[in-house]
Amino acid sequence: MPIIWLVLIVAAIAGAGYVAGRARAMRSVEGDHRKLHSLPSYYGWNVALKAIVPAFILAVAWLLIQPLVVSSSVSGMLPEGAIPENSSRGLIMAEVRRAADGLDMAVETGSISPEDARSDAAEAAEISQVLKDSGAVVTSELTEPILRAAQRYRALNATGHLLMTGLVILLSVIGALWGIRESRGDFRARNTVENGLRSLLIGAASIAILTTLGIVLSLVFNTIEFFRLYPAADFFFGTEWAPSFSGRGGSSELGVLPLLWGTFYVSIVALAVAVPIGLFAAIYLSEYASKRVRSVAKPLLEVLAGIPTIVYGLFALLTVGPLLLEIFGKDGLGWMQAGTAVMTAGLVMGIMLIPFVSSLSDDIINAVPQAMRDGSYGLGATQSETIRQVVLPAALPGIVGAILLAASRAIGETMIVVLGAGAAARLSLNPFEAMTTVTAKIVSQLTGDADFASPEALVAFALGMTLFVITLGLNVLALFIVRKYREQYE
Amino acid sequence: MTDTSIPKDAPRAKTSIHQIDALTKKRNAAEKRFKAYGMAAIGIGLFFLIVLFTSIIRSGAPAFTRTVLEVDFTLTQAQYEEAEGQLFKTAAYSDFFIAELEETLTADGMSVEFDADTIERILGKVGGTLREYYRANEDKLGEPVTFSLATSSRVDGYFNGRVTRDGLEDSRFLMAADLDLVDALEEAGIITSEFNWPFITGADSGVDNPGGAGIGASVVGSFFMMLVVLALALPIGVAASIYLEEFAPQNRFTDLIEVNISNLAAVPSIVFGILGLAVFIQFMHLPQSAPLVGGLVLTLMTLPTIIISTRAALKAVPPSIREAALGIGASRMQTVFHHVLPLAMPGILTGTIIGLAQALGETAPLLLIGMVGFVARGYPDGFLQGFVEPNSAMPAQIYTWAARADSAFYDKAWGGIIILLIFLMFMNILAVILRRRFERRW
Amino acid sequence: MMKDNVDAKVGVNAMDVKFTAKDVQVYYGDNHAIKDVSVDILDKTVTAFIGPSGCGKSTFLRCLNRMNDTIPIARVEGDIRLDGEDINAPQVDPVQLRAKVGMVFQKPNPFPKSIYDNIAYGPRIHGLAKNKADLDEIVEKSLRRGAIWDEVKDRLDAPGTGLSGGQQQRLCIARAVATEPEVLLMDEPCSALDPIATAQVEELIDELRQDYSVVIVTHSMQQAARVSQKTAFFHLGNLVEYDDTTNIFTNPQDTRTESYITGRIG
Repeated sequence: MPIIWLVLIVAAIAGAGYVAGRARAMRSVEGDHRKLHSLPSYYGWNVALKAIVPAFILAVAWLLIQPLVVSSSVSGMLPEGAIPENSSRGLIMAEVRRAADGLDMAVETGSISPEDARSDAAEAAEISQVLKDSGAVVTSELTEPILRAAQRYRALNATGHLLMTGLVILLSVIGALWGIRESRGDFRARNTVENGLRSLLIGAASIAILTTLGIVLSLVFNTIEFFRLYPAADFFFGTEWAPSFSGRGGSSELGVLPLLWGTFYVSIVALAVAVPIGLFAAIYLSEYASKRVRSVAKPLLEVLAGIPTIVYGLFALLTVGPLLLEIFGKDGLGWMQAGTAVMTAGLVMGIMLIPFVSSLSDDIINAVPQAMRDGSYGLGATQSETIRQVVLPAALPGIVGAILLAASRAIGETMIVVLGAGAAARLSLNPFEAMTTVTAKIVSQLTGDADFASPEALVAFALGMTLFVITLGLNVLALFIVRKYREQYE
Repeated sequence: MTDTSIPKDAPRAKTSIHQIDALTKKRNAAEKRFKAYGMAAIGIGLFFLIVLFTSIIRSGAPAFTRTVLEVDFTLTQAQYEEAEGQLFKTAAYSDFFIAELEETLTADGMSVEFDADTIERILGKVGGTLREYYRANEDKLGEPVTFSLATSSRVDGYFNGRVTRDGLEDSRFLMAADLDLVDALEEAGIITSEFNWPFITGADSGVDNPGGAGIGASVVGSFFMMLVVLALALPIGVAASIYLEEFAPQNRFTDLIEVNISNLAAVPSIVFGILGLAVFIQFMHLPQSAPLVGGLVLTLMTLPTIIISTRAALKAVPPSIREAALGIGASRMQTVFHHVLPLAMPGILTGTIIGLAQALGETAPLLLIGMVGFVARGYPDGFLQGFVEPNSAMPAQIYTWAARADSAFYDKAWGGIIILLIFLMFMNILAVILRRRFERRW
Repeated sequence: MMKDNVDAKVGVNAMDVKFTAKDVQVYYGDNHAIKDVSVDILDKTVTAFIGPSGCGKSTFLRCLNRMNDTIPIARVEGDIRLDGEDINAPQVDPVQLRAKVGMVFQKPNPFPKSIYDNIAYGPRIHGLAKNKADLDEIVEKSLRRGAIWDEVKDRLDAPGTGLSGGQQQRLCIARAVATEPEVLLMDEPCSALDPIATAQVEELIDELRQDYSVVIVTHSMQQAARVSQKTAFFHLGNLVEYDDTTNIFTNPQDTRTESYITGRIG
């Protein structure tokens, strides 16, 4: 674990720096800490921060950049001839990486000596046999160029790590020394430490931006890569979803429409369950229920929201599916072929969303001012008249926002549809038929054996992009509506 | 005023408020109906909750019992040497075992015919287990040893009602006739049910051995993931919240962060899985299926939750506390770290625990970073290896079982859910206690 | 010792009495908010309730149309009769009572609907209109009564929340009038309004007196003097004095009334 060692070494430098910095500051005022500008510990912290932060940033940046540099360098040494007809550079690079990992593993288990793994004289056939024997997964025979590239890959990586370790420790030591040099009585240690701390806080807050950036970039790059291999028009307007499982074949039909239809159908069923129940539950809890009933029923309903989605998935697959099949299947009404269907997933998803709709609506209904209700009661309206004709219209924008948020939840839900909706992509109106959704296909395309560089795997990123854009749109719209609504009563 | 010439119509007929008129009756009926809809909605919600929990408990309970065959067996030195000398060594052990079992049953006055195949269908390859034991404990030769042998999952199923005599189709897994022997053995007290400790502590078995599957290894995997989430999400989340709540100026950058956080809170979890796959595995080449990567993905996913609840906790600390500290010459940083943060800590911890509970049950992103589809056969070799060695996590393990063809794994999946829910329950109770105990109202 | 409550019997013809309240007590949880209040309220008269804030005048007003029912912790005891009928009797439906005893609140609270729908709300729920034309007529008549017709007749479809504060309050009065109540209760109807809007509403109240019994709670003694014929002074949950408005302001019988009117307490 070289990284752990590196962390420990830097931590040790920082610890030593803390002690040294503090001591030096105290010495500079002959032990009378009242003469210091700041409390003694701030001098220590100043040194520790200077030892850790730049070194940490360097290490992270290095770890991010090194794979890029190594890959492009190794990729450059692969001759055009080494790339077979129906393959791509990306696929070959994946092969190289696997071979390199295999070599690492073989060295670790001792089935090959480190020298042999490095040596130019190593035979491709011989090595691939060794790798197979030691259990490293190598799909096909290694070719000469791939083996050389893999060796180079290992060499570059090893050098890179060594270099990084050295530079990080060096930077840490320099930082610590610099901090110790500063540690004199009149140095404004507290301000320096606080400014540093503030930067760290900003950095932490920026992680939200980085995450979004990471999501967008990883989706965009892979989606572009996908559209290079598969025409965008066929993806967006294709009504057929039939990926070939061999991985490399060009015969896949990857039209998104059947998946979108399945997604929307399941979501509509879910909302048809969750919205009326959730809304009426919220109305009852906020307008009618006594304090006691409310304090029991509300948390109980919210338990439904705290249950992991895998539980709902299993519930759909093993309880609700068979139950529906009994009623609507061959022995009943004959509408249903198998337990997994739009209805199964939609119903269970609806149950999951009940507390989501009811909590949001509850908040929104409670935000309608009491004066509004008083006005209605004062005119002799009954409670239900007041709710239906005054409270709900007043809360309508907020409730619409809540429903949109629930819809976005339903569209992005994965486990319930993976287990409950079925696997066949289908454009059908029968809710008792199995259909599949965008999320379910993201899972199946990325958990299969397909190579990451193949269109069958890359399509998952295009699906992810579609999902991201739809849910983001719904969320932004919903938040906008809810915010507008809140302003109305503030 | 302008409208002095309002037409005066005849006053309405005097009505008594002590007599309910027809319209009011109708309106009151509508009122009752409306209220009933509300009660029905609550009722349906609670009904679903009850159905969910009963089906979890009913289906999950069998995972916690297992059927074992407990029998005294003596292998003599001579038999040992004889078995080791043969070509099919384990078969020889099986034969000795069957012979002795038959003897025991006959001594009890029962006469049931059975052969090696029957025993294999009921107990699995018993010879292998015996041979392994005696090769490791040669000193036990010649003296009676009590063996506790787990029965096959079908026999398990027979005991907890999943497999019935009528519904059983004869297969190489279990024949209806085998059940006669099982019944006889049960009557003799040789086959008994006991608490299934191996399920709690064990690791996953292969696809062909549902009986041996355990959730222990994936609990460890989840534990390491939660360690990563706790170690990263708590400090980062608190730091980000402190910045946004206490220091951030009103500007575009702050707005950008705020918008990002509220949007990330609503991004589908599967998208975080895609992020993890693309960035941590494809780009940074971190190991697949490692709790470290799972933890990183869950950290990013949990951060918005933690930030939102931490900010609420910081907001709840009244400004007078800050003013008091600033007034005696503390810097803003000192004010926050010495006064505001400690006061907000219970709220922050509550939010963190709830965020962790959410992360613990999350499955979808784990599917994409490879925490399913393989057999997590054992525990990691050490603490540090725990982070990087391929492992499963509780929800991923449950999914793996649910996706397997053999329906005997469904019991395990439900059982796994019970364990998962117990963990979640404890975390939520802890959060509630923290809130109750330390909640302050200003 | 000073008497806490007056025996509020004013020498009037019993036929003119709209509300009779006897020994009314109101509790909010443990707080005894109204103590032994007895009062007769006359028809076709403006009666003002005055007193320092928290004296219980609004609470008592809300007893008259059982608005306190909507507050779970409130408990009302005693006898209140409308035209001789006990309004707290078990067979009374507060919905029917409130149709007869309308209420206008402190803050204008138009519904988030059009002006037309605001007015039509009451007649619709009480089934007062036979058809659309009938409803149109009721709306127009009520808006005229509310002295706001000329200002809104061209934009009946505009939301009621878009009007100015004074207009909103007159809209709310028109809304209350539209259900053809017999009594109008007004809880500080002008406290959220500017002086000009206040003058308009006060003028309107004076007009409404021709048809209704109006009870107005006000914190402004000037307003009570301007609009009311009868005035009741509340203090700490007690009805201290009840008399013709002119008498209260020129010749108060109780020292507490005098202190309040001269500005020493309140």
